Amino acid sequence: MNLASLLSRDRINLELKSTKKEEVLRDLVYMIKSKTDAELIYSTLLKREELGSTGIGKGIAIPHCRSLAVSKLEIAVGRTLKPINFNAIDKKPVSLFFLIIAPPQDPGNQYLLTLGKIVQICRELSKGNLINKPQTPDEFISLINEIEKKLIKKR
Amino acid sequence: MKKEIDIMRLLKRLFDLDNLIADKEADKKIGFKIDEEVGLLSLKRERASLLKEIPKEFADTYERVKERYTLALAEVKNGFCFGCFQQLPTEMLVRSNEIVTCPNCGRILFWREE
Ligand SMILES: [Zn+2]
Repeated sequence: MNLASLLSRDRINLELKSTKKEEVLRDLVYMIKSKTDAELIYSTLLKREELGSTGIGKGIAIPHCRSLAVSKLEIAVGRTLKPINFNAIDKKPVSLFFLIIAPPQDPGNQYLLTLGKIVQICRELSKGNLINKPQTPDEFISLINEIEKKLIKKR
Repeated sequence: MKKEIDIMRLLKRLFDLDNLIADKEADKKIGFKIDEEVGLLSLKRERASLLKEIPKEFADTYERVKERYTLALAEVKNGFCFGCFQQLPTEMLVRSNEIVTCPNCGRILFWREE
């Protein structure tokens, strides 16, 4: 399973103007769904954050949940113009967001595998100081591709 | 009286919330920090208050099916219940706003928005 192939250009926004946690979550959700579906996902994501921030540190957050509103794995990426407070585990503000939403039934365990992979890739992004490097969605996808290849070689 | 469409909305929220709670161990394994005290307690409170908003008849059905199958809601697709993969009787295939359960497995059925 290749993460870069799950990303699509129109679901990557590297110029989010939102300054609040709730706004960013909404922006991300509306990249993949609208109306009542989007509102259901949004409300579930807020509850997920109550359970513990998905801000994994070093400026990156991975908001995620299963929701009945999607029928397959959906991913969106956002980067805010200014880092925002997301109650991250290291208390540092966050600017890069990976949203991942999975359907309730997930026979191949794709959701947890993808989630684990994104965590791994995010660690590489922060290690290499790469969060702000890509300037366009295409550059972002190529960067993820590169990191994935590097991780495969390491194994 | 609550409209069925609103009850369905509440059932869907309850369903998502239950999956969230069920996933917390997997989340921890991946490396996310879970607040087992304040956070979990607050979700359990929200669960209780959601259940109170749902008329007893439907709340009971939900809890009963959840007990049995974990996932209490199932999608209707191509004439099938996607919980038990049995074909539904023709008269049930007209999408309605009523809350219906699968005659075979008893899961609460839903149709996708699009
Ligand atoms: Zn069924």
